[in-house]
Amino acid sequence: MKPFKILLVEDNEGDVEMTQRALNSAEPPCSLSIAHDGVEALELLGLEPGPASDGKESPPIPQLILLDINMPRMDGKELLDAVKSDSRLRHIPVVMFTSSESPSDIRECYERHASCYVVKPFNGRKYAQALHDVVNFWSTTSRLPN
Amino acid sequence: MTIATLASAPKAAGSTVIAEARPKILLVDDRWENLLATEKVLKSLQADIFKASSGNEALSLVLRHDFAIVLLDVQMPEMDGFETAVLMQEHESMAGVPIIFVTAISKEDKYASQAAAIGAVDYIFKPINPDILKSKVKVYLDLYVQREQILHLNATLSQSNEELERFAYICSHDMQEPVRMMNAFAGLLSETSEETLDEGGRRYLNFILDNARRMQKMISDILTFSRVGREDILLETVDCGAILDEILSEFEDAIQGSYAEIVYDPLPSVETSSTLIRVLFQNLIGNALKFQNGSRPPKITVAATPEGRFWRFSVRDNGIGIDESFRTRIFTIFQRLHRKEDYPGTGIGLSTCRKFIQLCGGEIDFTSAPGQGSTFYFTLPRKEGRSHEAV
Repeated sequence: MKPFKILLVEDNEGDVEMTQRALNSAEPPCSLSIAHDGVEALELLGLEPGPASDGKESPPIPQLILLDINMPRMDGKELLDAVKSDSRLRHIPVVMFTSSESPSDIRECYERHASCYVVKPFNGRKYAQALHDVVNFWSTTSRLPN
Repeated sequence: MTIATLASAPKAAGSTVIAEARPKILLVDDRWENLLATEKVLKSLQADIFKASSGNEALSLVLRHDFAIVLLDVQMPEMDGFETAVLMQEHESMAGVPIIFVTAISKEDKYASQAAAIGAVDYIFKPINPDILKSKVKVYLDLYVQREQILHLNATLSQSNEELERFAYICSHDMQEPVRMMNAFAGLLSETSEETLDEGGRRYLNFILDNARRMQKMISDILTFSRVGREDILLETVDCGAILDEILSEFEDAIQGSYAEIVYDPLPSVETSSTLIRVLFQNLIGNALKFQNGSRPPKITVAATPEGRFWRFSVRDNGIGIDESFRTRIFTIFQRLHRKEDYPGTGIGLSTCRKFIQLCGGEIDFTSAPGQGSTFYFTLPRKEGRSHEAV
């Protein structure tokens, strides 16, 4: 089976490491691209020219975006707006993956058409389990007939 | 002592600012000898005195200064005192500034009522009795100084409130992150390198994990406390029984582990905040399970009875109880009555309960017999039928 293509947008190296570890053992197998903030993600998605898209052919469109909120340069909400207003990308499910439990963050992300909002669990095992559940659900959903 | 310095600093700064800005008095009279005489009477007051010999001159001073009080002669050529007062009050800085009319003529009531209609606070007649004038002006000056002090305190307060809000934001977004990482990677280390570590290493790793967990709990409790009052409270019909069931299932491990017995009657639906009910049951049930000495299984009874315009809820336990002398401390933030080795906690839970329930129009209190148990009560307003009203 082809790997499930995920774009992780996350500035914290610790979270990148945790996510990579978790997805190594995920079912189905995943291929992970990493952007460290919203600007890098725009470049990887081909919305902006820049170092992250240089010298590569038209980048593969991910099947799922895992998106942190609090990031330098361009935060998760701004990136979410950019993705949802692009006709080529707006069908991609975006799962917010953040440590913020603030009701206003949750509301604002759903208003911007996030598919799901997951608060990063404090416990390491639950963190991995949450990512497994997300991948399992959205990869199944992506195989459903339109 | 850093703390003492910090605490006294704002006060010292405040009084300096007020001492520097002496209140200003404006005297308006077309006769110079009257101005000098009045100035002499008021000289001993802690204020700067400005003199104007016409309505026009007074108006131009009002544009440049904020006055605490104006003494205005009624009989003046060109522009009389009443006209001057009306024009003065068009100026923004004159809003609320007391005006005292001073006049030699007519003691008729109609002048006094005209003056009152314009917004004069007082009306005095020549020849002026210096003692009366002085004491009247002093009253208004004192009022002015007090008002300035209150405004200054308000500004300081709202600034520290904003700082507190920023602090809560930093807690949520910046402090949780590193603690979560510490916990996650210390956890990974203990899973993957358990065998390669010696006994000391494993002990240190457990210290890291324990403390990361405690810090996470403190941060999330502080966040909950600071959110109460900052975020809008959403009122809805809350099925208290359903929320109690949810909370009990969250405590399932602790309940089974301690063979606790939980007894409760059907609970009412109340027009209130569901977050409030959740916070109350979480803390009260959690405390009832926690503050036990282990000699007998916990028994917790939850009930609600109507009492006048209120519902009165109670959570009774058979735990260690609370000494009467702790009555006031128990609802104060960060107050803990026990060593963390005996009963862990952050000292934030009950203060959050009280802050939240008071905002919702209720109260919380307890009765207790040390060694036998405690009963916590809280009240909530009954608002039956309220939801049918068009608001």
